[in-house]
Amino acid sequence: MDLKWSEAIEGLGPSLLQGVVVVLQATIISFILATILGLLIAMCRLSKWKVIRGIFVVFVEIVRGTPLLVQLFYIYYVVPLLLNHLLSSGGTQPNIQFTALSAGIAGMTINYGAYISEVFRSAILAIDTGQKESGLALGFTQLQVLRKIVIPQALRNSIPVLGNYLVMMIKDTSLLAVISVSELLLRTQTYASQTFQTIESYTILAVVYLVLSLPLAHVMKMIEKKFHVEN
Amino acid sequence: MSETDQSMLKITELSKYYGENHVLKKVNLNVKKGEVVCIIGPSGSGKSTFLRCINLLERPSSGSIFYQGNDVLDGKWKTNEYRQHVGMVFQGYYLFPFKKVLDNITMAPRTLKNKDKAEAEKEAFELLEKVGLADKDNVYPASLSGGQKQRVAIARALAMNPELLLFDEPTSALDPELVGEVLRVMKELAEEGMTMVVVTHEMGFAREVANRVIFMEGGYIVEEGTPEEIFGNPKNERTREFLARVL
Ligand SMILES: Nc1ncnc2c1ncn2[C@@H]1O[C@H](COP(=O)(O)OP(=O)(O)OP(=O)(O)O)[C@@H](O)[C@H]1O
Ligand SMILES: [Mg+2]
Repeated sequence: MDLKWSEAIEGLGPSLLQGVVVVLQATIISFILATILGLLIAMCRLSKWKVIRGIFVVFVEIVRGTPLLVQLFYIYYVVPLLLNHLLSSGGTQPNIQFTALSAGIAGMTINYGAYISEVFRSAILAIDTGQKESGLALGFTQLQVLRKIVIPQALRNSIPVLGNYLVMMIKDTSLLAVISVSELLLRTQTYASQTFQTIESYTILAVVYLVLSLPLAHVMKMIEKKFHVEN
Repeated sequence: MSETDQSMLKITELSKYYGENHVLKKVNLNVKKGEVVCIIGPSGSGKSTFLRCINLLERPSSGSIFYQGNDVLDGKWKTNEYRQHVGMVFQGYYLFPFKKVLDNITMAPRTLKNKDKAEAEKEAFELLEKVGLADKDNVYPASLSGGQKQRVAIARALAMNPELLLFDEPTSALDPELVGEVLRVMKELAEEGMTMVVVTHEMGFAREVANRVIFMEGGYIVEEGTPEEIFGNPKNERTREFLARVL
């Protein structure tokens, strides 16, 4: 077999570098938004109002019960159709569309937000009631106890799991190829189908993913260790 | 501030139900400024519930609580503001494990009384000195012994400058050799004139420090008197039985 490694690296490399930028963009933005969304959902699920709790239980179950792939299709293709339909009035027909990347970020945010909300929820519930009561006894309000005592600890305790989600997220950006985000997989597919350097292309792709996720996973391990020592 | 008698805390006919379970049965208690009241009694008699009703960690089912002449159950006085006047020390310490000792102490005054950092820390150091832990400001609670944790918890409560301190079995979770250091701090507080309501199994402490001892059983205050009366010459049969068991 005659493998053209250097040609593949030269041909595919620059494109993959651009892909890496897209992947990092999608991952970082989605991760930040998903963390915020997760915290909000977790708080709503711990709300004293039954209706709010109910709404978000249903939301989380829907998200967790459907594949990310389907969610991405739904947001990219179906949601604009629905919006256009809903917003059309009289003769005017709006033409709402999402860019592939923003639909991808929205999908990952919602999907990961639902999972992260469960992480936060259990981390919040895991904080000793005694600590909450000692906060209340000092004169803090319920909200202050939540903000100053419960949430800081819940966030800290969630860091290892969040780190795992971050690494998973980098890898899951490959799913964005299906809604035509030019991330790494799509670029590799295109290159491989044009040059027939299939083995080289996909091997390079796998290596790029490893280079992206392994150091991150390692950093997360170190952070986790540090937190174990402190507690 | 309408009440004219000098009770700091005046509790009348306080009852508490948990569902069908009648845990406190029309309990009355007056505490004057500077008084130390010790509550003793068997397990499950309602001592903790009573104490927790005083600072409204439990909502009483009926009855009234007046603090410095103010009705604390009528909803006019915000519960969190009322609690800033009434400190509480728990059996399980419940320090904030993610904060160093100094920050455990300064957190409430800085947030709730808008004290600036320097002032709050200066006061925190004085309190640490008082509880004998001047060198522990910069460590996390996890590195402290139980007795040290409890003394930090006392300092933390004192940082809010409360007029009344509630203690719920502050030494019951401690190894016997650590009980003394906590009781010593409490005794000093009593001598300085702090008003205290103390649920305790330490009969020696109650006998020595209390102005008044209350014996609770089955949700009732069965007997109440000076330490001499309760320990020396208990009138009620149940008090005698209890004391015979624990002494
Ligand atoms: N949150 C609660 N829900 C239901 N029942 C409770 C609750 N807290 C206490 N009880 C019940 O109320 C009664 C009194 O409990 P409490 O904790 O006040 O007793 P105690 O005198 O402090 O006992 P101990 O010496 O063991 O601390 C017990 O029967 C207990 O089971
Ligand atoms: Mg108790």
